[in-house]
Amino acid sequence: MTIAKIEKLDRLIEASVSAREAQTGSLLRQSYRRLRRSPMAVTGAVIVGLFVVVAILGPWIAPYDPTAQTWGREVFLNRNIFPGPRAENWFGLDHLGRDMFSRMIVGARQTLLVGVVATLIGFVAGAVIGGVAAAAGTFGGRWGERVEAVLMRTVDVALAIPMLLLALSVAALMGPSLSTVMVAVGVAQIPIFARLLRGSMLAQAHSDYVLAAVSLGVPKGRIVVSHILPNSLGPVIVQATLVLATAIIEAAALSYLGLGNPDPGSAEWGTMLADAQRFLSGAPQLAIYPAVAIIVTALGFTLLGEAMRESLDPRLRSQE
Amino acid sequence: MALLEVEDLRVAFGASTAVDGVSFAVEQGKIVGLVGESGCGKSVTSLAVMGLLPRGRAAKGRKGDQPVQAAAEEVAGGSVKAAVAAPQAVPAGGGRRRGGGADVSGRAVFDGTDLLSLPPAAMRRRRGKDLAMVFQDPLSSLNPVVPIGRQITEVLERHRGLKGDKANKEAASLLDRVGIPDPVRRLKEYPHQLSGGMRQRVLIAIAVACAPRLLIADEPTTALDVTIQAQILELLKDLVDHEGTALLMITHDLGVVAGMCDEVNVLYSGRVVESAPVRELFARPTHPYTVGLLGSIPRLDLPLHEPLTPIRGSIADVIRWKDGCAFAPRCDRVADACVAGEPALVGSAHAHRCVMAEEVA
Amino acid sequence: MSTEDHALQDESPQVPVQRTAEPELPAASADPALLEVEDLKVHFPIRRGVVVERTVGHVRAVDGVSLQVAQGGTYGLVGESGCGKTTFGRAVLRLEEPTGGRVRLGDDEVTSLKGERLRKFRSRMQMVFQDPLGSLNPRHNVDMLLSEPLKVHGVGSKEERRKLAVETLDAVGLPKTVLERFPHEFSGGQRQRLGIARALMLRPDLIVCDEPVSALDVSIQAQVMNLLDELQGEFGLTYLVIAHDLAVVRHLSDRVGVMYLGKLVEEADSESIYEHPRHPYTKALLSAVPQPDPEKEATRERIILKGDLPSPANPPSGCRFRTRCPWAQDICAEQEPEWREAASGHKVACHFDL
Repeated sequence: MTIAKIEKLDRLIEASVSAREAQTGSLLRQSYRRLRRSPMAVTGAVIVGLFVVVAILGPWIAPYDPTAQTWGREVFLNRNIFPGPRAENWFGLDHLGRDMFSRMIVGARQTLLVGVVATLIGFVAGAVIGGVAAAAGTFGGRWGERVEAVLMRTVDVALAIPMLLLALSVAALMGPSLSTVMVAVGVAQIPIFARLLRGSMLAQAHSDYVLAAVSLGVPKGRIVVSHILPNSLGPVIVQATLVLATAIIEAAALSYLGLGNPDPGSAEWGTMLADAQRFLSGAPQLAIYPAVAIIVTALGFTLLGEAMRESLDPRLRSQE
Repeated sequence: MALLEVEDLRVAFGASTAVDGVSFAVEQGKIVGLVGESGCGKSVTSLAVMGLLPRGRAAKGRKGDQPVQAAAEEVAGGSVKAAVAAPQAVPAGGGRRRGGGADVSGRAVFDGTDLLSLPPAAMRRRRGKDLAMVFQDPLSSLNPVVPIGRQITEVLERHRGLKGDKANKEAASLLDRVGIPDPVRRLKEYPHQLSGGMRQRVLIAIAVACAPRLLIADEPTTALDVTIQAQILELLKDLVDHEGTALLMITHDLGVVAGMCDEVNVLYSGRVVESAPVRELFARPTHPYTVGLLGSIPRLDLPLHEPLTPIRGSIADVIRWKDGCAFAPRCDRVADACVAGEPALVGSAHAHRCVMAEEVA
Repeated sequence: MSTEDHALQDESPQVPVQRTAEPELPAASADPALLEVEDLKVHFPIRRGVVVERTVGHVRAVDGVSLQVAQGGTYGLVGESGCGKTTFGRAVLRLEEPTGGRVRLGDDEVTSLKGERLRKFRSRMQMVFQDPLGSLNPRHNVDMLLSEPLKVHGVGSKEERRKLAVETLDAVGLPKTVLERFPHEFSGGQRQRLGIARALMLRPDLIVCDEPVSALDVSIQAQVMNLLDELQGEFGLTYLVIAHDLAVVRHLSDRVGVMYLGKLVEEADSESIYEHPRHPYTKALLSAVPQPDPEKEATRERIILKGDLPSPANPPSGCRFRTRCPWAQDICAEQEPEWREAASGHKVACHFDL
């Protein structure tokens, strides 16, 4: 074959490849493209993005001090007078004459903090338990199988306890505070993460590339850390997004039950909901704002999590 | 006139063309083979003829839109399960994705009617009755939670109006006909209780339940062992010989082609590159791709350790047909003429798409 | 429909072969076997019960297989799915724990190695997998894939490892530019080349190839088979090739064993076994392979076996093949056929000389 001919062929192959490549790409890119096209993912991402921005910038964008009882004289509890939305207070005033809009905005930060920290606690502790169980069960011989059995049965028992009850017990032990809520909600999530990571790791442990690593003489610890674990984390991380949604609701519930931050001035959606309860007949809007905020935020995380899970689903990946 | 005449069939998924102007005909009582490697468009061709591809831009991307998935479901009318993730049936290398759907054009004339222009409801009535399909993976084409008897009677009910005892009896006789021993007992069993070969027999029983005039078999024996493959091929041949069914056989195995088919179409990159009666094709393979395929397979009938002459490169080394011969980058005979525009399919009884054929031969 | 029309009932001999007590002949060839497997067994317990698990039986995946592979030779192990050939290959490499028997590689007893010594020993025996994509870690690029085996065995510095990786890539026909790429960016054939390159990195003595080409397209299969051939000479490799495709095994191997339900039923040099198969199962297998030649297909004599593979948890009494054998007699159910040398170097487990 002449050089010119080879060059021409190469050019033509290039042309045909680029025509096809417009549509494909790396697996991650494909997943991302699917995500971007899914209305579920976009809605979720917008909600989550807005929430995170508000949570971070809260104190700077809130028009007023959320704890200042600036308009205290305009609220008359026994006569059911709560000024509603108006030009200077977009969401109206609460029962102590504080600006609801500012409180909602500042409350986002606490909610995000609790959600993220609680999920992190659950993720890390759960991952350690699940990871150790899977690694011990796969490579630890007979002893390892026992370690795995003990760990996983414990997790199963924990899973059988209703999550709120578990969180309540933890909270009762530690006394009411913000960290109580975080730890309580986090602990309650441990079993989910433990089971998920273990399942995911066991699936990888039976894959051919792990068998290949064993046959190459790769030490067991290294197989777990550099082969099994990185390939098992995907579904767990996606699950974390979904757990964040639950954690936010749980945290709100615990605060609502009075186990959250004992400082009455602090702005937190769950506490606000609890406070509003007393005035439900006269000023339902006080309950509606935090309730809707909690639901929408949780929904945002759920949508995003579900969409991510779907987009990473290997069954939907194209072959080449 | 042939029972099925496919003319200039094109299927595109978005920007990538899977089938690029394929024409062939299947006559009553004949077996026609579509041969090629993964990504050549052979499976997509069959799915298009069966009307089992998710329709083009107009169609909404339904959840989990895999052509084959929907396909298996449609074929037997509902209870045959949808979980065929069979990537084999969806050729690689394209950008087809859920929501994408296929743009199908051309004609597939079956007994005077163009199947491609039929509305979905009319096509559904014909599927299973006039034309039926057998897939590669028998386990995922059957519903795991429904006894196989029920899966057969469902088809009988839908297309032949048989009910109750009558349907059961017919189902048992179908199983008997495809060589399943003790058919009455088997009717109550679930797919997981059967072996791979038995499952494929059940699928064939479902496919032939309404005595279709055309059967499409997509790699029907690829997932099976060689001794079981022999049984299934025998069964299919028997159907054609005794019932006069026309069979469109999709396979990558030239051995199966040699033993089964009357006519063969070799596909490469979405086009027929060679088409001939089976003896003619094996005696005088003309397109370098066909020659290359034949040189690539180890054979039991040649002297021991005869060296193989593989085709170099891979299907990724391809050029667009409008630029020249798609096989040119892998071809040993490549000349300037090969990349000077579209090669045409020349000849009638033994047709080939190679501009260099005359000079080499 | 009857599936046994072609069974050659009338040809079956009525009298079992009289066996003369022959002394076990020492291997005629001067080459000592590199790999020697003796009576290898792998039984998997079948466990039942929710709270207290008890063993209710065993799946005898491999049930007493002995074979030798000569230094520099290729042994082809062929059989249908469920015959135990994959388990056998993995047990030889100690990727599956043998229930009984011995495996010797060179002067070392593989079956008695434990822990760290076994891990170190693995550098001498390697495996090529059926599914080239599944056997490559999707998150490791080619450089990592190829240098990992060297790293874990403490071979060379980073630069030396890279140099060796490039050399090996060259040997399997891939350019060094692929070092930074990930498995999903390659075609099926290229991935299999990577799998082979990885197995070669430690310059092993033995490579077990488990269905090395069955996941590949026809035109690519030939490339990979030719590559395995070339590498054998270049690196002085000994192969154990496990496959279901008789033509592939014939092409690659100089000695072939046929496995059925956990046991060898026949073993001989390629030429001998394909020209004169002696076991009914081998005959049936060979007759079932479609030939890419319409003339021969029209006249090919097919022995169509009835039925399916029996369960390896509960194999038939006597000869395991008797339930599907067209020539089966009463004796086949009563006595297990002896593993005998029917002709020089041609062993078979059948009561009859067919």
